[in-house]
Amino acid sequence: MDHGWDIKRTMKLLVTSGTYRQSSIADAKTLAADPLNKWLARQGRWRLDAEMVRDNALAVSGLLAKPIGGASVKPYQPVGYWKHLNFPKRKWAPDSGVSQYRRGLYTFWCRTFLHPSMLAFDAPTREGCVAERTRSNTPQQALVLLNDPTYVEASRVFAERILQHGGDTDGERLAWAFERILSREPSTGELDILLRLVSERAAYFAANAGAAKAAATAGEWPPSMALKPERVAAWAAVSRAILNLYETTSRF
Amino acid sequence: MNPEKFVTRLNRRSFLSNVSLGVGSLALGSMLDASGLAKRPSLGVIDPLHFAPRAKRVIHLCMAGGPSHLETLDYKPKLAEMDGKPMPKSITDGQPIAQLQGKAELKCLGPQHEFQNFGQSGQSISSALPHIGGVADEICIVRSMTTQQINHDPAHTFMNTGALVAGRPSMGSWVTYGLGSEGSDLPGFVVLTSVGGAQDQPIASRQWHSGFLPSRFQGVHFHSTGDPVLYISNPKGVDAKGQGAVIDAVNSINRLRNKTVADPEIDTRISQYEMAFRMQASVPELIDTSNEPQHVFDMYGAKPGDGSFASNCLLARRLAERGTRFIQLYHRGWDHHGGVKKGVLTTAKHVDKASAALIRDLKDRGMLDDTLVIWGGEFGRTPMAQGSGRDHHMKGFSFWLAGGGIRGGISHGNTDDLGYHSVEDVVTVHDFHATMLHLLGVNHKKFTFKFQGLDFRLTGVEEANILKTLLA
Repeated sequence: MDHGWDIKRTMKLLVTSGTYRQSSIADAKTLAADPLNKWLARQGRWRLDAEMVRDNALAVSGLLAKPIGGASVKPYQPVGYWKHLNFPKRKWAPDSGVSQYRRGLYTFWCRTFLHPSMLAFDAPTREGCVAERTRSNTPQQALVLLNDPTYVEASRVFAERILQHGGDTDGERLAWAFERILSREPSTGELDILLRLVSERAAYFAANAGAAKAAATAGEWPPSMALKPERVAAWAAVSRAILNLYETTSRF
Repeated sequence: MNPEKFVTRLNRRSFLSNVSLGVGSLALGSMLDASGLAKRPSLGVIDPLHFAPRAKRVIHLCMAGGPSHLETLDYKPKLAEMDGKPMPKSITDGQPIAQLQGKAELKCLGPQHEFQNFGQSGQSISSALPHIGGVADEICIVRSMTTQQINHDPAHTFMNTGALVAGRPSMGSWVTYGLGSEGSDLPGFVVLTSVGGAQDQPIASRQWHSGFLPSRFQGVHFHSTGDPVLYISNPKGVDAKGQGAVIDAVNSINRLRNKTVADPEIDTRISQYEMAFRMQASVPELIDTSNEPQHVFDMYGAKPGDGSFASNCLLARRLAERGTRFIQLYHRGWDHHGGVKKGVLTTAKHVDKASAALIRDLKDRGMLDDTLVIWGGEFGRTPMAQGSGRDHHMKGFSFWLAGGGIRGGISHGNTDDLGYHSVEDVVTVHDFHATMLHLLGVNHKKFTFKFQGLDFRLTGVEEANILKTLLA
C-alpha cells in the first residue's frame, strides 16, 4: 500500500525473500512436524497447472507466441473429440501459424468437452468456481506429454535448437538442453542415460529413413532444412525424454 | 506432501477409526454373515469391504434420451383405453412439465407397442424388445423409478452423481475410488459412447468426471474413431521400441533424481509412465476383436470396429474380463418427442439384441454372478401425447438390472394405471445407488469423502433404502 499498490514490487519482494528461495528438500523431522508446510520451513513443491505445462514446453522449444490478449485459439486436438456434442454439431479446426503456439490461457474452452490435454492436467471445466485445483498424477498425463502433437512438435523443434546452438559434443548439447529446461547441469548418471538413448536412437534412425523423416517433421512448424532428419529424430527422442521428466513439469 | 494425497489418507484413516469404534458388533456381524464369507480385502480405500460383495463390477447400459417406459417395460392397458382422451387433470395439475408446458389440453397416448409375457417368469416386456424378453428370467424390472430432473443433462447428472448440481463425482468414480481396479493394464472406469440410430443426444464429459475425488478415478472415454484412448498412439516415426527407450530414460532419470529430492509424487509418476506404456499395448489388444469367433459377433449383432452399441457391448465384456471395475455404455437415441412408435423400434434395433447378448455371454462365461448389469435412462416419458411422441417425464419410469446378486425373473414397484406416478415401492435414484453399493459390499452411509468441510456421499443426506426385494 505504501508504494501505491505496486503489485509487481510486492511480487518481487516475495520471490526474492529468503523464505521463497529455500529448497523444497526437507529432512524427515521437518516433514513430520509440518506435513502440509504451513510454517514455510521449506519451499513448496507441486506440478505446474495445466496451462503452464503447455506454456513451459512451448517456451523452452522457442515456439511460444508471446503477444498478450486476443481471441481464443484452437491448438491440435484429436479428430472426433467433439463428436458427441449436438444442438448444434460443431467441428474443431486447429489454428495454424502463430495462433497454434499461444499460451494455454488462450485455448478455446468448451465446458462440456474441455480440451483433453487441459483436462488431463486437472484444468477445471469452468462450469463452477474452483478455488483450488486438484493435482493428479495419472497415466493420461503421461500419454499427453508423450504423444500429444503439441508436445511432440515442441520436442522436435527443441531438438533442432539443441543441434543448432547446443555446442560441438553430445555432452555439451545435453548440458545446454538441461540448462534451458531445468536450469541446472545434468549429473553424470543422467548424462549416461541420455547419451545411451541418443546413440541407440541415432543408429535406429540411420537405418530407417522413413521413420527419421516422419519424426523430424512432426507438427506444422517448418523443419530446419540444414539438419539431417536422422539427427533431428534422434535428438527429438532425447528432448522428449527431458520434456517428460517430473522435474520439467513441476516447480521444486 | 500433495494435499490431495494427504486428505485421501486422512479419509482412509477415518474409515478405519469408524470401523474400530464398532469392532464388537462388526465381528459378530461378520460371523453371522449368511454367506459365511470372511471380510474381503479390497484394492481401494474401503479395505476391507463393509460386507461380502455380491458383485465385483458394474456395467451400466445407459439409455440416454429418456426411453419411454410405456413402450418398453411398463404396459398400461388403462392408458390404451384412454387413447386420445383428455389426461385427467387430477394427475397432472401442479406437476412440472417440460415441453408440453402451456398446452391447452393434454391427451392420453395409448401404448404404441404390444407387450408379451416372456420366459418362465412371464415378465411383461414390449414386443419391441424381443431379445431382452429372451433373458426375462435373468432380469429384475423396476417399474417405480423416479428422478428429480426433467431435462437431459441435469437428469444424467443426478443419475450419475446423486446430486442436482454439476461437479460432484460420478458413481463410476466413487466405485473405483472405493474398490480400486483389478486390471493393471487398463483404467478402472471406462466409458463407451456409441454411434448409430437417430436423434443423438449430446452428452458431456462431466458425466464421468471424478469431481472432488482424486482425478485418477475419472472415467476414461474410449472413442470409436481415431485413437480408442486419446493419445494412445505413438508419434509418427516412433515404434514401440523407440517409445519404450524414451520412457525408460524418463523413468531412470526420475528415479535418480528422486534419490535427492525424495518425493512420493515421483514414485507415482514412474508407475504412471509404466501404466501408460502398458496401456499402449493393452488398449489395441482390447479393441482388436479378431480373435472372437463369428458366433459371438452374430450373437451381439456387431461388426468389428463399427463403433455401434453392439460392438461396445462386446468391448464391455472384454473390459470386464480384464478387471475393469465400472463400465458405462451410452446409447443416445431415446429422446422420442415425436414418432415414439417408430423411434422406439429404431433404437431397439440398435440396443435390444446386444443388451441380451451381453447377459447371455456373461452367463456363459460364469461372469454374470459377479457382474451387475444396469439398463435404463435418465428419465421416462409422459403418458400424454406430444404429437405422435411423448415428452420428458420424471415421476415414473423403468429400469432393469441383472446379475451380481440381483434376483432374476421378478419385477419391483408399479406406476399408477396411466403410468404417470410411481405409486408402489417407489424407488429414488439414491435408493438405486445405495443398492448398487450394497451389492458391491459397501455400506453407502459409511462411504464418504471429506470436501469443503462436509462428509460427502454418493447417496446424499436424505434417507436412502437398499431395495432388499431385488436381492437374490
